[in-house]
Amino acid sequence: MIVIDKLCYRSRLRYVNASEKFLYTVATLVICIAGRSPAAAAAAFAANGILTVRKGGIPLSRYLKLLMVPLAFLIPGCAAVIINVSETPLDAFAFPVGDWYITGSRASVMNGALLWAVALSAVSCLYFLSLNTTMTDILGVFRKLHVPELMIELMLLIYRFVFVLLETASAITTAQKSRLGNRNYRTKVRAFGSMGSALFIQAFRRANALYDAMESRCYDGTIRVLSEEQPVRKKEICYIAVFEIMLLAVTIGSRAI
Amino acid sequence: MNHTEDWVIEAENLSYSYEENDRKALDGLSVRIGRGKKVAFMGGNGSGKSTFFLCLNGILRPDKGRVLIDGKPVSYTRKGLLEVRKKVGIVFQEPDNQLFSASVFQEISFGILNLGTEEETVRKEVEQVIRELDITPFKDRPAHALSGGQKKQVAIADILVMHPQVMILDEPASALDAVHTKKVHELIRRLTEQGITVLMSLHDIDYAWSWADEIVLMDRGRVIRQGTPREVCEDEAALRQAGLERPAVLRIYEKLKEKGVLSGGRIPGSMDELTEMLL
Repeated sequence: MIVIDKLCYRSRLRYVNASEKFLYTVATLVICIAGRSPAAAAAAFAANGILTVRKGGIPLSRYLKLLMVPLAFLIPGCAAVIINVSETPLDAFAFPVGDWYITGSRASVMNGALLWAVALSAVSCLYFLSLNTTMTDILGVFRKLHVPELMIELMLLIYRFVFVLLETASAITTAQKSRLGNRNYRTKVRAFGSMGSALFIQAFRRANALYDAMESRCYDGTIRVLSEEQPVRKKEICYIAVFEIMLLAVTIGSRAI
Repeated sequence: MNHTEDWVIEAENLSYSYEENDRKALDGLSVRIGRGKKVAFMGGNGSGKSTFFLCLNGILRPDKGRVLIDGKPVSYTRKGLLEVRKKVGIVFQEPDNQLFSASVFQEISFGILNLGTEEETVRKEVEQVIRELDITPFKDRPAHALSGGQKKQVAIADILVMHPQVMILDEPASALDAVHTKKVHELIRRLTEQGITVLMSLHDIDYAWSWADEIVLMDRGRVIRQGTPREVCEDEAALRQAGLERPAVLRIYEKLKEKGVLSGGRIPGSMDELTEMLL
């Protein structure tokens, strides 16, 4: 999460209007998932890769590493779709185990592969958004979409204070290490526990202090803020529209075959 | 001091104790602050400085006594508090407890929007304060990627954008390096030039000596001495009670006079002035 956060502030696409990026992501995502076309999934995956790495300037190695993360879930998930245990062998493959077979049908293999492709392209869509858009900008889009205020406020505060909390936790851990808190397993466990409780108390205190500070700036229960906005560019909107239409065409085309 | 003086803050006999504590945080504190003054609040930890500040814009309501802002007693209604907080702004000691948004622009826009200002005006005001306080180079960075000094600059902008009459800074230089301390002090100097009354708590008597119009010494929830830096620094007993020593400039100056190196003249207001006298 922190890696993604650091990268998105350096992305060259950061200052592209956030609503445009959001629109692109959601449209592509919907077409990929609803259309279930392997060609469209491949096209979306490629487009997201090119946009993020070439246009956004996110290092390729970083991007690939991030893509590896969902693979850990995708591979077993798809395997579950493809592999069957049955008394009769199915048409794609079959390995006898005693009286039973570990087997799969052609349809389930196709299904599994499609699922894999669609899921990976969907993940790449979300990576595109999160690697090129800051959390603050995404919240701005949510606000425009009239997501309930309370949720936005919570996200805004959580996003800010996750980092404060992490910083505090790491400071406490460092202080513990410098007093041999990690000498052996026992002390490690104990140190971790006391770090947790110290953190809890700190969080409580901070929440109170924050409330005071907000009150002194006339806080009345609603967090009202303004954001800097990047202008919407007609050219970019056109690109997005053309791409989505193409994607839709590919989806419909591959259905027709 | 005469009766016609323009007091922007008057505190009369304030008492306050926190629920969890038996000891009174404020114990009969009375003080008056003139408009446009630069006032240094000094005293040990727990002497009541921060509690007093929180009373000044109605975050805390004193158990006894009253606070007058602009000659008007603070009213603890929603409207009254809004009015007071518009006039008196506090920059808190720990910026991480003040900055609630990851975005600098959003952060600064919060207070002024709460005052009911038009969005377009807010946008302009925020942009202006970002320029004025030299925040531009890091305005696009998230709050968690800012240094302590940069966070402090944003925290000051937070309040300044609301155009308060009184600005309170609670230990603005704590945990800052020398460069940023200098920068923050420079910002504060510019504030007072705009006619804002500045109340600042600090532990650096040398800085208070050169900066302040008035020093207020506090101990155990009470004001033990208020006066010009010269008056206060001559009162060694009060200084000792507040856990302070006399300013280095003053001590060196007196030693030099005693040894006959300097033949008297004006008491130097800062180290630079003293060095100049020695040339």
